[in-house]
Amino acid sequence: MPLSFTPVIGLEIHVQLATVSKLFCSCSTDYIGQKPNTNVCPVCLGLPGTLPVLNGRAVEFATKTALALNCRVRNRTRFHRKNYFYPDLPKAYQISQYDLPLAVGGYVELTEADGSKRRIGIQRLHLEEDTGKLVHIASDGRLSGALYSLVDYNRAGIPLMEIVSAPDITSPAQAKEYVARLRQLVRYLGVSDGDMESGSLRVDANISVKVSDGRWGKKSEIKNMNSLRAIERALEYEIERQSSMLARGEEVEQETRHWDDAAGVTRSSRSKEEAHDYRYFPEPDLLPLVLEEGFLEEIAESMPELPWEVFKRFEEVYGIEPEDAALLSERRDVAAYFEACVKAGASPDKAANWIKTELFRVMNECKCSADDFPVRPEALTELLRKVEQGDLSATAAKDVFGLMAGQGLRLDEAIKAAGVSVGKVSGGALKDIIDEVLRENAEVIEDIKSGRDKKGKKVKFLQGLVMRRTKGQADPQEVSELLDESLNN
Amino acid sequence: MELWKLPAWKIAEEVRRGNLSASQVVESHIRRMESLEPSLNAMITPMPEEARRRALAVDEALSKGTDLPLAGVPVAVKDLLCTEGIRTTCGSRVLGEWKSPYTASAVRYLEENGAIVIGKTNMDEFAMGSSTEQSAFGATSNPWDLSRVPGGSSGGSAAAVAAGYAPIALGSDTGGSIRQPAALCGVYGLKPTYGLVSRWGLIAYASSLDQVGPFSRDLVDLALVLEVISAYDPLDSTCVPGSRPRYRDALKAHDLKGQRIGFLKGYQDFDMDDEVKEKLAFALRICQEGGAEMMEVSLPVSTGYGLPCYYIVAPAEASSNLARYDGVQYGLSEEGKSILELYLKTRGKGFGNEVKRRILVGTYVLSSGYYDAYYLVAQKVRRLIADEFARAFSAVDALIMPASPTVAFKKGEKLDDPIQMYMSDLFTLPVNLAGLPAVSMNVGYSKAGLPVGVQVVAPKWGEMEILKVASVLTDAVGSPKVAMGGEG
Amino acid sequence: MAISEADVRRVALLARLEVTDEEARSLAEHFGKILEHFHRLQELELSEVDPFSLEGPGTPWRSDEAKPWGGRDEILSEAPRREGDFFVVPRIVEEE
Repeated sequence: MPLSFTPVIGLEIHVQLATVSKLFCSCSTDYIGQKPNTNVCPVCLGLPGTLPVLNGRAVEFATKTALALNCRVRNRTRFHRKNYFYPDLPKAYQISQYDLPLAVGGYVELTEADGSKRRIGIQRLHLEEDTGKLVHIASDGRLSGALYSLVDYNRAGIPLMEIVSAPDITSPAQAKEYVARLRQLVRYLGVSDGDMESGSLRVDANISVKVSDGRWGKKSEIKNMNSLRAIERALEYEIERQSSMLARGEEVEQETRHWDDAAGVTRSSRSKEEAHDYRYFPEPDLLPLVLEEGFLEEIAESMPELPWEVFKRFEEVYGIEPEDAALLSERRDVAAYFEACVKAGASPDKAANWIKTELFRVMNECKCSADDFPVRPEALTELLRKVEQGDLSATAAKDVFGLMAGQGLRLDEAIKAAGVSVGKVSGGALKDIIDEVLRENAEVIEDIKSGRDKKGKKVKFLQGLVMRRTKGQADPQEVSELLDESLNN
Repeated sequence: MELWKLPAWKIAEEVRRGNLSASQVVESHIRRMESLEPSLNAMITPMPEEARRRALAVDEALSKGTDLPLAGVPVAVKDLLCTEGIRTTCGSRVLGEWKSPYTASAVRYLEENGAIVIGKTNMDEFAMGSSTEQSAFGATSNPWDLSRVPGGSSGGSAAAVAAGYAPIALGSDTGGSIRQPAALCGVYGLKPTYGLVSRWGLIAYASSLDQVGPFSRDLVDLALVLEVISAYDPLDSTCVPGSRPRYRDALKAHDLKGQRIGFLKGYQDFDMDDEVKEKLAFALRICQEGGAEMMEVSLPVSTGYGLPCYYIVAPAEASSNLARYDGVQYGLSEEGKSILELYLKTRGKGFGNEVKRRILVGTYVLSSGYYDAYYLVAQKVRRLIADEFARAFSAVDALIMPASPTVAFKKGEKLDDPIQMYMSDLFTLPVNLAGLPAVSMNVGYSKAGLPVGVQVVAPKWGEMEILKVASVLTDAVGSPKVAMGGEG
Repeated sequence: MAISEADVRRVALLARLEVTDEEARSLAEHFGKILEHFHRLQELELSEVDPFSLEGPGTPWRSDEAKPWGGRDEILSEAPRREGDFFVVPRIVEEE
């Protein structure tokens, strides 16, 4: 019997929390694009004699996430020091949590391709501080062959939330889905921007492979996966690598490997000159982390509707197809936008269609959020109503929408500016166009006149042609009347 | 009038009244410091120029009507308390000429009240030692006998106050580093309850044990300084919020009626100098005559196991606290082809022997496979010690114990035997492990003229209690004398 | 308990301390003596003792406000090696 291989995957995710100040000092967390070593102070640089003071907002954010992940949040935990030497770690220890993390024992529910549900366990969620960054650059400015490394501590001390999954994940697609759900969650909760490219959300994977003959390979830790796609590809590569080694009867070594996205391979990291020994012990500069009476209740009360709840509601209440419901509930701002349209009177289907095409397209271009999108839901609803009433063709409506979004015009202003007012083409001009269309479609006219167009479909077809040729600027009522006239002549 | 002999409260009173200027006061102390410093080496960085400038500023502020309770009072500051613009060395090579861009809260509070820092005092490197011999800046001499040590690690501060460089000084106490040198130099030294005084700007040795505290030759000064430095500080998460009492009120006590004073059962059998035992008995008699009910107290875990417990807990924290001295951001930095080489060389060159010893011990007891056997066990013993003191204090209001098992010992005598050196702190370090307040004070002199001290220990937040006992003892023995510092 | 010079070197590497042969020898001796002392702690009954209490007040929470520190130039000026706004260290061989 041929051997089969089952991957066993667990993910460790580090999420930068969207606080305005660092975890233990008042330096700004807004470091992207800053000059090196600007957002620094004696505390986050670990200067002698300095002491940490905890940012309460970071605790709120982590707690909120933990509750949303169905974790058990502990009222009393503590911080530990994780000791190791590295130039990006100013104190030579990281303040983290160890034996008593803030939260344990939660789960995320994933929907499989076949629609079935699967729970991925969350082992722990804890708070810790981020490290600084190293830049490797040679004196001639080249990145390769650098003579020395440069240290920037702007990132040092930014609050991180580490979320460790159980080894419940069995496929790369599932891993990708799990990360996508977590990223969506932290964005919904407003606790992080969840951006993987800039490193706000960083994923490490532990992966091993079980063989059907009872063997179980050692795990590799995969780092440097900077997108959802990279996670999937890296894990696919790694499963293949480990499985084929096991198939050949080789041992899989326990090691850390880095994903090389360009080459599409994982590579073994240079082995360290010594094994890690972090010498954790309780941080004496902080008292225990205590959640006051009523804190958890307050956080629970402030919890927004979670993405999976929104998804379900869109499906059930508005009858949206699962695929569209997923798109609309992906982001809280978009979901809210959609709902505002529906509340303003738009049909859910039409609003959904418009949002996933036009709104997404323009939002992509302007990189803006639906919350501050220039076309407010009420205005979009009004636009959709005009289309439905035949006041505007779909094509014209897109132009109008573009002007409203791009130049911030009101609906009536945009219609004017687009020069697409309904009824602009009428009377003789319209008659000319109708004649033109009829000349080109003599066969259709034959069909109609011979009574073969019982359902009136062919008349509709001609109406459509006329509307298109007027670029939607004819009054459909007039088109219909004039067309009937011509056909009956 | 020799202004350097005045207590701080008197200086402040005269300067505020306009009878003296801060500049006059400071000048007198600077002269005293400069005349004795060649023989004492109590200062790492004397600050005569800064002090003169500060004195002018204080006089100016007073003339504008600013109220400064410590106007013109010179203060010597242990060189592990950061002072903006002036190097802070911790008695080590590793910090080089590093200047902190901030001032320790305790120092800042004193300055805001008109006190004037006259210099940074010598200490055992990173506060690890009991003799102030283990400093990269040379040993400090005991002002009562230059061939002897002043105790440590705050030996420079104790010697400076004893010799009259300043009426008050700040030190830090992790295992006895204020109380033992205070005893050996014959001055007052107070180690506050853990969490009373801000540690912001205090360069950490063992964070869960370190406290900043005052030295003085006058008990009112001690209480006064404590009032100022103990203000709540949100920059230290372990500093306990709330207002502090007016500690000077404790000094109104002139008897101990209704007080229960404890002493160590069988203290005569402990390994200590006979003269220390005699003075301890003398102190106990004073308390009894003062109306206290005297009670025997047994502290077998604290006295029997406190030492090994301390020498695991403190080095463990130190190994982590001192890991930041790596030659990247500031201080000494050796050349290295790799980052590892840079670390190894910088730290190898930068730290002295005792610091290296403790870093290694601390690293070892936290390392994988040894944590449970050493660090965890020590933390459990620490808990037992705290519980043992708590039980003792259900029966007594304060305890009188030796501050040091010996009088000032000869320089070099214990340098080659670290464990003998560690024994100096036998009676002081359990107090840190339990986080309690204690005051060390002079109760007389040995036949050879060396000061002998005792310490008074109370439950947490019992600063009023220890000052009350100290007040009654002072009534009987008198305030400490100024040491000649090798003069005359 | 005997501690070898190799043990001393292992711990010294972990602590990033360069030790000479002579230091390693004397440290090993010292270490042994110290550890002997430590072993006395085993005499105590400790199984029921909870060493790290979570009792008492919690660590204070700061409000989440960003306040820039004005003294970065002073800090950078202390750097043993500096290039522009960066601290400089020997080339780190990155893992990736």
